Amino acid sequence: MKQIAAGLKHTAQAIAAAMMAVMFLTFVLQIFIRYSARLEWLPDYVPFLEPTRFGWTLELCLVLWLWLVFWGNAFVVRESDHVRFDILYSRVSRRTRRIFVIVSGLCIAVGLAVSIEPTWAKFYILRLKKTATLSSLFGDGIRMRDLYVVYMLFLVAVSARYFWIVWQAFRHGVPDAPGPDERRPGE
Amino acid sequence: MSFQFLLCLGTLFLLAGIGAPIAYAILISSLVYLFAAGQDIGLAGKVLMDGLYSSFVLLAVPLFIVAANIMNAGTISDRLLQFCIALVGRFRGGLGHVNIVASLIFSGMSGSAVADAAGIGKIIIEMMTKSGHYTRGYAAAITAASATIGPIIPPSIPMVLYALVSNTSIGYLFLGGIVPGLLMGAVLMGLNIWLSHRRNFALEQAVPLVELPRVTVNAFPALLMPAILLYGIYGGVTTPTEAAAVAAFYALILAGLFYRALSLRKLYEILVESARSSAAVGIVIGGALILNYIVASENIPTLMAAQLVGLDVHPLAFLITVNILLLLLGCVLDATTIILVIIPLFIPTCRELGIDLVHFGVVAVVNCMIGLITPPYGILLFVINAVTRIPLNEIIREIWPFLGVLLAALAALILFPGLVLWLPRAFGYAG
Repeated sequence: MKQIAAGLKHTAQAIAAAMMAVMFLTFVLQIFIRYSARLEWLPDYVPFLEPTRFGWTLELCLVLWLWLVFWGNAFVVRESDHVRFDILYSRVSRRTRRIFVIVSGLCIAVGLAVSIEPTWAKFYILRLKKTATLSSLFGDGIRMRDLYVVYMLFLVAVSARYFWIVWQAFRHGVPDAPGPDERRPGE
Repeated sequence: MSFQFLLCLGTLFLLAGIGAPIAYAILISSLVYLFAAGQDIGLAGKVLMDGLYSSFVLLAVPLFIVAANIMNAGTISDRLLQFCIALVGRFRGGLGHVNIVASLIFSGMSGSAVADAAGIGKIIIEMMTKSGHYTRGYAAAITAASATIGPIIPPSIPMVLYALVSNTSIGYLFLGGIVPGLLMGAVLMGLNIWLSHRRNFALEQAVPLVELPRVTVNAFPALLMPAILLYGIYGGVTTPTEAAAVAAFYALILAGLFYRALSLRKLYEILVESARSSAAVGIVIGGALILNYIVASENIPTLMAAQLVGLDVHPLAFLITVNILLLLLGCVLDATTIILVIIPLFIPTCRELGIDLVHFGVVAVVNCMIGLITPPYGILLFVINAVTRIPLNEIIREIWPFLGVLLAALAALILFPGLVLWLPRAFGYAG
């Protein structure tokens, strides 16, 4: 059981790392093509470098960013990685903290679970909407809803995760307050 | 302000107050708002996804995070530090100066104060405490203070976020940060000189001048990075977002091929770590997009602007008040949250009062970065505490004078908009 969990965790991380790498390389490709496009003779020799073949780079990066955020929060981001306001949390007793975890966890778990159906219904119309440029990459069948599906994954996974956290806190209480040793870029 | 909006705020404060992740607190409170207003709660997800999907500038965020992580892992930071020691290590309080100069250079390569403190900051704190000339608290405090320059000098993740909420040009915002960043470096160095004479810090062993060329050559490729980035953006070679990719690519080439300090295994770890940080920042951005949607549909910024304009507030008085408010919020809130959620409230008023949005943005970002070192909630203090195990109270005891001079620099930036706007104007900014 533990091995399966560890295996899944590694797979999820590897997928996130791959998205990051592909996004980065796509950007580099995009800059490269912009300059190679000025060399009009180039496609005659290397037909692959025909600039019109690369209209999809920008949108692919956006898709990867979207997936990175929601895939990441569903499976890769740890509780301690989140931005939170913990002044109150780190100063109350362990018993109160347990109540905090159960109340906030239940709100998140239930709230996200309740929104699953209406959100999917809202995305329903997107089954018709084509992407701007990605059909050259993924084929003509791709629709916006296929890209947004990651948000549903996120809702289900995070909701389940918080039910689990609440259950753990209910059964075993909460560990001592972690030191404020989170590292986050972006600031 | 409608009942459902009050309910939304109440839920937000309650959930965030008891320690729920800010992003999820926002998400849940927006669901509460939509439900109470009788709207479709599926709208929250739609707004969130559409917002993230259409914000091209945001792509810079994960790329700058990758770039900073590669630089910290691939000895680029160490080489820069050797160069700075050879350059300014010979003066009294030398390692303090090294610390500040290194931050100035590093800030031209990374867009994140936390990356600066955790990478180059950690190494220099070890050097300062090992030399025995400085107290642990002083070493940590000066590192925290100089790390705030990181996102002021371009590139800068917080400025990208501000550009997103204010629709100002990232290029001009980046330019506007250069002089303020140098000013902050200058006041910190001034304070370091004064304190090291007063406390009579011992002199460091000076690196002989004949060594200087070797050290410079060693660090030269890394020193080129800020120049490449600035040329890329202002020479019209790349967009600011693409510049982030160029920075990451250049750091990768340097660390991997040139300095040979990066294994494939390490690179994989960097990618996972960057993905994790980007996702954690990304979800807060997403939450802020929903909250801004709600605030906008409640018409709050416009109402506020109308009120304030009706009161006939002087623009300067408004700026000062907003800055005091931001400083107070910075004591308890995270910079990302302030920039994405609080600052948009003031932007229409700035427009009405004729305050330049580039000036306002740079001042606000400087303010938020100072907020990173204000106790009790200063992320930089925590990061340094975490990576060096120097107790928080020792750091906080020494941080006050640094905080003082940074606030003085902030006041100068508020009072003299020319300090911020001079460089953008020289490059054709019409504001």
